[in-house]
Amino acid sequence: MTDNIYLPKIGRIVGINEETLGARAIKTFKVEFPNGDGFEHNCGQCAMLSMFGKGESMISIASSPLVKEYKQFSIMKMGRVTSAFHAAKIGDFIGIRGPYGNQFPLDDWKGRDLVFIGGGVGLAPIWPVIQTAVARREDFGKITVFYGARTSSDIMYEADFEKLKASAEVQLSVDSPEEGWPGYTGFVPANLMDKAPTPDNAIAITCGPPIMIKFVIQNLQALGFADEQIYTTIENKMKCGVGKCGRCNVGKDYVCVKGPVYSWAELKSLPQEY
Amino acid sequence: MEKILSQEKLREWVDALDDCEVYAPAFADSVWNFARVKAGADIDLSHTNTIGSVKEFAFPQREVFFCFEKKDGVPVLTPTLPDPKPTVVFGVRPCDGRGMPRNDTVFNKEFEDPYYWARRNKLTLVGLACNQPHSPNCFCQSVGGSPHAEEGLDILMTDLGDRFHVKGVTAKGVEAMERGRDAFDAVSDADQAEVEKVHATSRSHSQRPLGNLDAIAEAIRESFDSPLWADMAQHCIGCGICTFLCPTCHCFDINDEVINPTTGEGERVRTWDNCQFPDFTMHTSGHNPRGDLGSRLRQRVSHKFLYFVENHKTQQCTGCGRCITECPVGIDIIAVLERVGQS
Repeated sequence: MTDNIYLPKIGRIVGINEETLGARAIKTFKVEFPNGDGFEHNCGQCAMLSMFGKGESMISIASSPLVKEYKQFSIMKMGRVTSAFHAAKIGDFIGIRGPYGNQFPLDDWKGRDLVFIGGGVGLAPIWPVIQTAVARREDFGKITVFYGARTSSDIMYEADFEKLKASAEVQLSVDSPEEGWPGYTGFVPANLMDKAPTPDNAIAITCGPPIMIKFVIQNLQALGFADEQIYTTIENKMKCGVGKCGRCNVGKDYVCVKGPVYSWAELKSLPQEY
Repeated sequence: MEKILSQEKLREWVDALDDCEVYAPAFADSVWNFARVKAGADIDLSHTNTIGSVKEFAFPQREVFFCFEKKDGVPVLTPTLPDPKPTVVFGVRPCDGRGMPRNDTVFNKEFEDPYYWARRNKLTLVGLACNQPHSPNCFCQSVGGSPHAEEGLDILMTDLGDRFHVKGVTAKGVEAMERGRDAFDAVSDADQAEVEKVHATSRSHSQRPLGNLDAIAEAIRESFDSPLWADMAQHCIGCGICTFLCPTCHCFDINDEVINPTTGEGERVRTWDNCQFPDFTMHTSGHNPRGDLGSRLRQRVSHKFLYFVENHKTQQCTGCGRCITECPVGIDIIAVLERVGQS
């Protein structure tokens, strides 16, 4: 019997962490599989999450593949499904199917410096890569994590950043001046230029709002990063997650299957339709 | 297997398929469309082409994936995989027949779609060759097909006036013919000669030309940023009829429909969707990769004549001409491709 690709597994919310507040608040949900039918995933993959009666949304898996007991999803309150998530409580059940998409080729990056550049909720898709790289610390050279948010209260994974400082250089920024802010003030691409990480033997991984990604890539190129050294993860609206429903394509590629992870060398060969 | 079937005995064959659901074109409300045939006497194969394509037999407009409810606070999902009776569809035109393997590819690649295949595996397509084009917009021969193409069909029938030539193309088709074996006669040399003549004549009718398909794909690739798309889509009203009637368009939506708001009981439902609608690709943030009519026309045309070719080495268009004939504002995919090619 063929697997029913549209039938979600049942997940149970076992933890909720309020990352940021406001109209577009972000919460991180820890999800377990009470029926013991969980799945393994790779860095960069997504899962289609359900709130029954509201619908489905494709969400990046924010936990490391090394964590087997649960999956973590950081969800910004935006529409019908994500608002239902924000109204959920510990113990609530959700639907979950996946994992979908390709992955960051972490194994190909052994011995290299890693420069992560995240903005807003765009930190979530690259967070499992950061976590996995740190867990395999001896495999990589210098690890630098740039992350920017609108204000200091919009910084997600704040407690984790403190832990991260033990194994990586952390460069935080806020968009506008704040009294007592110890980090950089200004947009993420500017902070990147200010710190100017070397492209020598390095890989840059970025995710954030489309406009941020655009300027980060421009600045990485200005710093001397080649197209093959720059990776990003893109998302489009998705319904099926399995390359059929027809809406997430960028040119010939269905992002849900061929993406979401692309090197800039690959992505620039596709139409700019994302 | 090749046989001859008289017009009278067509009914006999249909009646022999009594454990199947039989469909054939029927004329109602000024159009031909597929309708259930209860008895052989009801079948009429004098149709032009049906307004809807045969795709809906494997990919219905609306279907329920599963029901959800809560038992003791825990969601319980009950899949509703279809289990149809064997279904035989008569009068399928070769353009629609060629559409099905293209749909099969979509519903097969990477992940097998169990809902599509539950229906598709029970489906036998009985084609009817087109002795002449049914519409001035037919262009099957410009996209690698022909008025008597067998691709995608299980049986190909050819109308010889007082009788049909019937060819079993697949094992499934031969089996359907064997069910009505008493209705069929052997093919004589004269019958064979006549079939060949009818087919040759059918190919000689003029159709709308399209030019070199490789050159078209290249022209589309190079025109991505061209203002031509917005220009050609200026009068598009975004109704999407071009894709709904298309034998190969397969885009869909998935939504939850709540039946009982008190208990939260409901269904997850797949419906046809459409790349011509603005919210098809709109992110929740409001950002839209295809936010204007031009980019959506470009997507429809590029999918059929470039992206599908890049992924599957064939066009995702079989030249039925419905999108041209039925467009309320006269957008003509051949004219569009001509202008892109000239740009």
